[in-house]
Amino acid sequence: MLVFLSVVQLLYVLLLSPLVFGILSKIEERIESKKGPSIFQPYYDLYKLFRKEIIVPNHSSPIFHRAPYVSFAMYSLLTLVLPIITAFPLQFGPTVDFIGGGLIFGAAALVKKLAALDSRSNYSHLGLSRAASMGALAEPITVLIFIMLGVISGTNNPYVINNVLQSSSKWYLSLTHWFVAGAFFMVLVVELGRLPIERHSTAELGMIDQGMSMEYSGMDLAFEKWGGYVKKFLLMSVFLNVYTMPFFVPMKLDLSSVFVYSGVHFLKLLGLVIGIALFEESISKFRLFKNFDYLAFAFSLAFLSFLAFYTTVGRV
Amino acid sequence: MNYIYTLPMFFTLAASLLCLVKKTYFEEVVSIIAAFSTVAVAFIMVFLPSYTSHYLYIDGLSKIMLIMVSMIYASTVMFSTTYMKYIDNPSFEKHFYYFLMNLFAFSMLFTVSVNDLGLIWVGVEATTVTSALLVATENTETSIEATWRYIIIVSVGLIISLLANIFIYSVTGTLNIQQMMQGVQTNKILVLGAMMAVIGYGTKGGIFPMHTWLPDVHGKAPAPVSAAFSGILLAVALYAVARIMQIVNVGTVKEFAFWLGLFTVAVAATLMIVQKNYKRLFAYSTMENMGMMLMGLSLGKYAFIGAVILTLSHAFAKSSVFYLSGNILARYKSKKIENVKGVSQRMPFTGYTLFFSALAVTGTPPFGTFIGELLIIYGILKYFPLFYALLVISFLLVAFISINYKVGSMVFSKPTDTVVTERKRVGTIVPIVNTLLAFLVIFFVPQINQLLSVGMIK
Amino acid sequence: MRETFALVGFFEILMVLFMQWEIYTKKIITTFSISSYIIALFLFYLGIVQNSPYVIALSLISAFVRGFFIPWYMKRRIVRDHWREREIKPVISTAMSIVISLLIVVFAYVLYRITFYNSIHLVEGSIPMALLLQGAFLIISRRNAFIQLIGYMTMENALFLFEGYLFPGLPFIVEAGIVLDLIGIIAIAGVVVRMMKNSSVEMNESDELRG
Repeated sequence: MLVFLSVVQLLYVLLLSPLVFGILSKIEERIESKKGPSIFQPYYDLYKLFRKEIIVPNHSSPIFHRAPYVSFAMYSLLTLVLPIITAFPLQFGPTVDFIGGGLIFGAAALVKKLAALDSRSNYSHLGLSRAASMGALAEPITVLIFIMLGVISGTNNPYVINNVLQSSSKWYLSLTHWFVAGAFFMVLVVELGRLPIERHSTAELGMIDQGMSMEYSGMDLAFEKWGGYVKKFLLMSVFLNVYTMPFFVPMKLDLSSVFVYSGVHFLKLLGLVIGIALFEESISKFRLFKNFDYLAFAFSLAFLSFLAFYTTVGRV
Repeated sequence: MNYIYTLPMFFTLAASLLCLVKKTYFEEVVSIIAAFSTVAVAFIMVFLPSYTSHYLYIDGLSKIMLIMVSMIYASTVMFSTTYMKYIDNPSFEKHFYYFLMNLFAFSMLFTVSVNDLGLIWVGVEATTVTSALLVATENTETSIEATWRYIIIVSVGLIISLLANIFIYSVTGTLNIQQMMQGVQTNKILVLGAMMAVIGYGTKGGIFPMHTWLPDVHGKAPAPVSAAFSGILLAVALYAVARIMQIVNVGTVKEFAFWLGLFTVAVAATLMIVQKNYKRLFAYSTMENMGMMLMGLSLGKYAFIGAVILTLSHAFAKSSVFYLSGNILARYKSKKIENVKGVSQRMPFTGYTLFFSALAVTGTPPFGTFIGELLIIYGILKYFPLFYALLVISFLLVAFISINYKVGSMVFSKPTDTVVTERKRVGTIVPIVNTLLAFLVIFFVPQINQLLSVGMIK
Repeated sequence: MRETFALVGFFEILMVLFMQWEIYTKKIITTFSISSYIIALFLFYLGIVQNSPYVIALSLISAFVRGFFIPWYMKRRIVRDHWREREIKPVISTAMSIVISLLIVVFAYVLYRITFYNSIHLVEGSIPMALLLQGAFLIISRRNAFIQLIGYMTMENALFLFEGYLFPGLPFIVEAGIVLDLIGIIAIAGVVVRMMKNSSVEMNESDELRG
């Protein structure tokens, strides 16, 4: 049964993740009163890329060619261990906790960065160095967030955190929790590569994450992109299920409620996507060096949750 | 006869309101009349007993402060009548200047006669409100910036002292001075509050950690305003500290205040050596004297009397110094010491008076400041090892040498041209009178003692 | 009550951090205005709970002067001169000042715990302390006269929060509030306006004010 649900969850994530971003770009185009591409455009892109020829730079090592597959595999593994459509651990759930999940995320990012370094392209290097310096500062924030969640729930298990927040309104309404959620949202925007940080246009000078996959083509690029969609989908799901909207996620093994919830989850994601679209349309991009101010603010949010814990709940 | 205690405040307030009437010379006449009637009332009060009501608390210390404030206020108004002509581009009209000056005096008189720590705080804050614009009388960018620094730093200091008042109130349950004088139970919060009050009011009094506004303001404000600032405003701020220390009679607070005073003297004496601008030089000298006064207040007994004598004679001497620096500035058009040469030949009266008043502010024997500093140093010797007294004396010596050397180089050097450009007018006479008063203080030491111990002169 | 206080307090701390983040003067002014309104609302609530007309009066003064009048006046000034909309060079880099401001909050908490907590026994007291120090830091870290004034008024807000919650019933607090606000008004009416006429709001070190 758990194995079956694991497979369902994997397919759910892999198949739906491009759709979410198709919808996001459609909404944004509509807000700008343009017609915009079809919401299935990411699927068309992926289909096209799968049929194209693969070209690899002359000087690159085997890492370059294999990186997209490795990172895609890692994201797929993460899909099996995070609470997406269930709030009870699935077959592979016990293998890693939140810190472990963070490490796998980090490993996938590392593989991508190595590949970008290997491509010997100036644009890739530019994007890489930016992503690395942003990541170096975003990482401590993520760790702080995990620690705070650990303080709230007493464990590092995302399922337990979800259950605690779902059942205890004291924790759900606490300042500590909301500071953590705010900090995670700011980190989420960095990881999604959305607007105050990065603009999805063809201007190379502002690129951060996009720049890293500059040299890929064909099936490699398809997996790189698909992996990217999965990663973002996972982060958004975690943001919803663990941090802000832990409600309705089924805590008991019950097939029908899981299936109902997979629909509900998609609706939640749609809500978040609409929120992100509105947010993105109302602000403009930061200059690159201002990104660090943004991260400093995110850090202070995460840290304030610490202080809020001591002044309101902990009272040591 | 109780209404007499409110008369000084009434006179100044009425004068400031009358100054709003636009009529040539009217505001000057009104201000001078108000100032001299305030002086007269303050002197009459000396012979009346101490008075306490719900709002007023006038004992010997308050009476001395009232005399000092009113006299410096009178001389400042007198001096302003001549000095205002030299300001090229004033920020506001003359009657508004007198309006603010009278309000300024009102807020200081209010501060020294109310019977409530909270109202004392309001009074000290009100001096900031009224004096802020006075600093910016000269409409130049630097003077406006000096004003800005003054407002911001002093307000921050006053927020600290308001916090201190809150703490004190939380312990005692009242801010009434008379009630608190009968004794308060001391605990940690009260001590912390008193220490914060020393820092907070010390900001206004030019005491060490937050003194930075003081040289800027004294350097850029017009001469009469500088004189009023260093003569009475800073002393009024220290009056608040003195009240706090009378109420919270705790060793920790006194020691804290003593160290702050010592640091102030040290910093001021050291910075005086490198000053090239004479108004800033005198500003640091004020800071040094304030440090001495704070030490005197913290030591108590004889040192307290010494601090009061020092405050009184310093007010006269320092206001005289600033008036004279205004005269020199009007003639030489420069604030640099190196540009001012041969004052004794070009402006004989100004030159010699400046020489004597500079001696007075550094505590040279015939003047009252000497007795004040002597008593304070005696107090230090009594409570601390000899080393500290020697330390203070050496700082005083540094200050003495740097001021008198620099003033000497201004007064007795060779002038570029020997034309005497001085007329006998109010602007020359007022400083002479004030320097004389700084000397005459020594004859009134017994009366001061009597006032502080009994509250009146019989 | 405790929860509301903590909520308001942390929101205010967040607002100050946000002000450190912003470089557009106008946004900082708006942020300050909002935070003043929230303080005023909290004081109003406090006044009703404690049944104290003084605290209610204080809240009304707060809302009118620091929520409405001063921000409105400053904004009107800024709209007139577009080039003063943002601060070009802060004294300390933005990211650094955010982090320092955060560390100040931590410092205030520690300071409060080792000094006042022994006698007051309310952990939340550290929030206004933090706000006070943050306001002071806002003054130090910026050169723009408007922002320095906002730093001063933030300290004032913190003080009223402190007084209203921890030590209710201070006798002269309304007078104190009026005088403190008067300082702010004098500052903008007298000094800033003339500064505008001349050249800049940026406070520069000039040679005459050294040493």
